[in-house]
Amino acid sequence: MAAGFFTDTTVCIGCKACEVACKEWNQLPDDGFLFTAMSYDNTAALGASTWRHVAFVERPVALSEQLTGLGQFSWLMMSDVCKHCRRAGCLEACPTGAIIRTEHDSVYVQPDVCNGCGYCVTACPFGVIDRREDDGRAWKCTLCYDRLQGDLTPACAKACPTDSIQFGDLDELRQRARRRLAVLHDRGVREAWLYGADAASQPGTGGLNAFFLLVDRPEVYNLPPEPVVPTQRAAGAWGAMAAAALGIAAVALGAVLASRPGRP
Amino acid sequence: MSGSGGDGRYVDPELGLLLGEAASQRIEATSAREVWRDVATSLPAPGEGPTYYDRPVLKEPVWIWSVPVYFWVGGTMGAALTLGGAAQLAGGPELRPLVRRCRWVGAVGGAASAALLVHDLGRPERFHHMLRVFRPTSPMSVGSWVLAGASTLAGAAALLASRRGLLRGAGDLAGLGAALLGLPLAGYTAVLVGNTAVPLWLETRRTLPLLFIASAMGGAASFFDLAPASRPREKRVVRAFGAVGKVVELAAMVAVERQVTRIERVGRPLREGVSGALWSAAKALTVASLGATILPRRTRRAALAAGLLGTAGALALRFAVFHAGKASSRDPRATFDQQRGR
Repeated sequence: MAAGFFTDTTVCIGCKACEVACKEWNQLPDDGFLFTAMSYDNTAALGASTWRHVAFVERPVALSEQLTGLGQFSWLMMSDVCKHCRRAGCLEACPTGAIIRTEHDSVYVQPDVCNGCGYCVTACPFGVIDRREDDGRAWKCTLCYDRLQGDLTPACAKACPTDSIQFGDLDELRQRARRRLAVLHDRGVREAWLYGADAASQPGTGGLNAFFLLVDRPEVYNLPPEPVVPTQRAAGAWGAMAAAALGIAAVALGAVLASRPGRP
Repeated sequence: MSGSGGDGRYVDPELGLLLGEAASQRIEATSAREVWRDVATSLPAPGEGPTYYDRPVLKEPVWIWSVPVYFWVGGTMGAALTLGGAAQLAGGPELRPLVRRCRWVGAVGGAASAALLVHDLGRPERFHHMLRVFRPTSPMSVGSWVLAGASTLAGAAALLASRRGLLRGAGDLAGLGAALLGLPLAGYTAVLVGNTAVPLWLETRRTLPLLFIASAMGGAASFFDLAPASRPREKRVVRAFGAVGKVVELAAMVAVERQVTRIERVGRPLREGVSGALWSAAKALTVASLGATILPRRTRRAALAAGLLGTAGALALRFAVFHAGKASSRDPRATFDQQRGR
């Protein structure tokens, strides 16, 4: 079964139960306690020991069909997570084979294999996977691989009180997302759209196994607008290298031949 | 927040089992993450799109100084092995000393490269996992195999260079193999950085290989200039190889600069800050080294100057590209503008 998440940001209430459930279940350490002055977001970003992150956006823009006492204002919240891309930059970059595709179509880092080269960190177009200085290895969301072995829902989805995070079979999730989108459009929330739901809308990643329903541009949520797995464009770089390598071989031979006695 | 919370997990091992997916994550300190390190460069100017509190959208590369130093060492040994192969094929007995020197540069450079790369790993004791699989989609995997092969062959070729008969033939065969692997070794690191999500590296992925390979030629010639050979023919070969390399390197630098003008934000690290200064320094040093190389009168002192300036220039170039990439990854607008094509 290809499993994943559908995160409907319109019903997220920013309770961070997903962050807490993820930390508790996976026995992740805390990141220290700090105040970022970024609305209610004191988590700041996904990282090696933060596999769910709730973003808080305070906009001076009203949502369509939404009445508030604050005038032109709306508050967007989104629980961000590893996207488990169909074509995963981290997996294709990993030189050790530590990052694998599981039977659930999720992307999993084997901590006993990873040697901490850090290449996956640069290859992720979403800035998800990261290396902890004191641990030395790369870490990210496992889609609760251990829970899936026991037919349990991942901790974050299980803890979500509003079903903003929905876990399940990807085909079913996509259908559900389209129905939800139609309902929102019917209600006049024309700005609602699906981010990364399939390969057609996001060819750079082949679609995301953890996709989102958003109501503003991706940049607002710190998501890249047109993410591309770097390896999709590597052929051009290899080609340029091959041409330059032929050049250096020619120059080396030329330098040797030109130096023969009798020549200036 | 005391006792069992010491590792930030708040699990008392007397009462609870540490079996979670991240239970093995090693924690030395649960100090606050450095979220302020790269926050808020500027407020959006009119007409600029939104960001999320100016937070980076990408993770900054975690590599340390030993990686750009390796880019230089690997490039230098790759170019030297190529030159050694050419001298072996077409140089005759007169250039045998150069062939031998090239092989030793490859062998010693290979050992140094391995040390530098292992030093950068988060888990150095697992360095051998690099050769656990071969993954063609990963330039780092391809490069690891190329480096391992080139160093081994260069070492064998160096040791067998002064033997006779069959052993010498085997050494020559290894030398040719090392020379062939030297070609990708001189340039794959450019493909490696181009194959990332970092906006500046991604944008320049088609010109960086030429820049790195040309700089590898100049770097190898500069390295030989530091301990010049006494034979005039050997000097001529190294000089021609280095001069062409440095000219092409300067042209490739201009090509890279032109390429990043497409999107203002993407090219900024090459013009500003530490990386911009390093980039300018690399250019100036290479020009100076080229000048010393093509001086009509080649004195011992001129060769030494060319060698020192060229080595400094090649190193500065790798550090410039490295730090420019780091700066680029911290700028969310570089990613957004690049993907929006503005």
